[in-house]
Amino acid sequence: MRHAKWLAAVIGVVAVALGAGVLVQAQSGLSGEYKIGVLEPVTGNLAAEGKRHLEGMEIMRDLINERFGGVMGKKLTFAVGDAVDPTVAASEATRLATREGVKIITGTFSSTLCGAASEAAARQGVIYWETSCVDPRLTKRGLKNVYRTEIDGTGFGWYNIEFIAKHLAHRLGKKPNELKIAYLSEDSSYGQSVTETARQRAKQEFGMQETGVEYYTFTTNDLTSVILKLKGQQPDILHHIARNQDAILFWRQAREQNFEVKAVVHAGATGYGSPDFGKAFGNDANGPFALIEPGPGFVIEKLRPEGQRIERAYRDAVKAKTGNEIAGGHQLAGGGLWVLKLVLDAAKTDDPDKFRAAAMALDMPTGTGLNGWGVKFDEYGQNSNPRVQHYMLQWQNGQLVTVWPEEFTTLRAKWIPLGPWDQRK
Amino acid sequence: MHVIPQLAVSTLLLGGIYALIAVGLTLIFGVMRVVNFAHGEFLMLAMYLAFWSFTLLGLDPYVTLVLSVPVIFVMGWSSYHIVMRPVINASHNVQVFTTVGLSIALQNVALVLWTADAQFVRTSYYSVVVRLGSAAFNLAQLVAFAVAVLATAALFAFLRWSYTGKLMRATAQDRQAASLMGIDTGRVYSLTWAVGVACVGVAGVLLAPVYPVYPTVGLQFVLIAYVSVVLGGLGDMAGALIASLIVATVEVVGSYVIGTAWKEILYLLLFIGILVVRPAGLFGQRGAEAIGT
Repeated sequence: MRHAKWLAAVIGVVAVALGAGVLVQAQSGLSGEYKIGVLEPVTGNLAAEGKRHLEGMEIMRDLINERFGGVMGKKLTFAVGDAVDPTVAASEATRLATREGVKIITGTFSSTLCGAASEAAARQGVIYWETSCVDPRLTKRGLKNVYRTEIDGTGFGWYNIEFIAKHLAHRLGKKPNELKIAYLSEDSSYGQSVTETARQRAKQEFGMQETGVEYYTFTTNDLTSVILKLKGQQPDILHHIARNQDAILFWRQAREQNFEVKAVVHAGATGYGSPDFGKAFGNDANGPFALIEPGPGFVIEKLRPEGQRIERAYRDAVKAKTGNEIAGGHQLAGGGLWVLKLVLDAAKTDDPDKFRAAAMALDMPTGTGLNGWGVKFDEYGQNSNPRVQHYMLQWQNGQLVTVWPEEFTTLRAKWIPLGPWDQRK
Repeated sequence: MHVIPQLAVSTLLLGGIYALIAVGLTLIFGVMRVVNFAHGEFLMLAMYLAFWSFTLLGLDPYVTLVLSVPVIFVMGWSSYHIVMRPVINASHNVQVFTTVGLSIALQNVALVLWTADAQFVRTSYYSVVVRLGSAAFNLAQLVAFAVAVLATAALFAFLRWSYTGKLMRATAQDRQAASLMGIDTGRVYSLTWAVGVACVGVAGVLLAPVYPVYPTVGLQFVLIAYVSVVLGGLGDMAGALIASLIVATVEVVGSYVIGTAWKEILYLLLFIGILVVRPAGLFGQRGAEAIGT
């Protein structure tokens, strides 16, 4: 009898909870759920950034459900896979498609993972929606259901040289063709595509002088030899594409070796673009530039009204959830998921052909999406590089702040040239 | 020519780090004939120990070093009794899978407990640079190198001249004969495992002020430690030290002369080349992997 009472109480509580859930869902106007697969490296060497991307996805998902009507009128939910390396990324993509039954997979942040994950997704006939990896080959393999919202590596290289030629050159009192640049990069497709594009544009379009090119594996334990070579080359600018731990190792050893260069320029949410860099050095991080999404100083009013709306909502949501300022990983993941919502809402289905038609028809000018992005996919599923507006941020007093293009920010680039290590305060 | 002193110093310091990790590994292999694939994860745990001691208690890593040796020793002792003892008489395959499993389990425990975010031990002297002529180096790395040399010498002396060291060597030479002579080989194994883990624990605490701390940090170092151990001769303490310095020389000088992209290729080619000529490694005893089993 006593057990029966307990059972009745439990059933009652569950029923009330379920009823409340239904009520909340009904009040938010969502009917049913729509599940997509999310692949990010949440364990292994890439886990720090992978988790940040997943966090960005989750915050955007909740925002979409709570304030923007879900997707196709349904509550958006995730089936998450851990893409620890390319092999696991492929097997997890297969699992998400076959076991979880998702029709869309998004992720995977890293250029070392997106190729394998998208191939596996294509074999299962599901849509692959990349938000962060920049390997240019992703959208050049004839896979018609692969899309990327982020700029590709060639865009990163293009932007970096644009910044060097149009901003740094005159701040250094030189013409672009008088600048000497050294290229240093980790050796994945991310590093190589950015570096090679930058080299090509710098040489062909601006006649900049190249002092050397060096690639390394990002898990390296020592970069002293590289720094000694750089000291011998005496470049004005170091174009350094790095992951996280190698950027930290390089900066520490460059300081030890008293390697002085007038500016350091990076692209991407890893390396100098990651919060880890500031955490490692505090104010000693001052100086390097990272091409990523906008940070403090960004003038949101410069965006179009619809861009301002989602930008403010997402920044507030990230701050409320994490207690910290928004990071590049959040912005890439959130920006990509937001565009996916817009395409799904327009297509009203995940049928690949109708989805593709809706994606191709989407035409958003710059300034209308998160991060000030616009959208116009080409026939290969790559978002237009010129519409994916990017910004140069600089480490200033423990914070990555927006410094360029100057019309989008209230803050200005400092320490040009960088000067001695102990005077960058 | 002006870069030669710096290349030499960088080689010594990097080699010191590799040696510090390799000596514990080679000790465990030399006595127990077990390749410990979880070695890098014990390094990671020690780095976290230094990080949390610094963050929560304000303890300098060098103070932690003294306090942590018994803690890490007990951790090693416990891990032997919980994980290794049941498989100590099993085949090499079972032992390999056990240590690989232990490695994955420890990585994921760290990931769950402390997240994947990199952590940093920023001591007041983290940026202190010592300059010697045209060479410059980090103070913490210099300390790590000095301790590596001392630890190798101390281990060598311990095995050579102490009674317990003799028991270990006897067990390494022939486990059954040692058992017949009244040596408690189970106890020797647990002691060896614990001392090996304590060695890599010392390495972890010393590396914490130099490198970021994160759950997979061990992988960054341990592959090179395996190369050093095999190159120097499995189970040979001095061999591990010298091989670590050789690997570091190839890495640093090769990077400078040929290119950084080539450094892994260079030391692995050297590794293969030496094993072709001397299959037991530079100082190893032919058939060492089978002795004592």
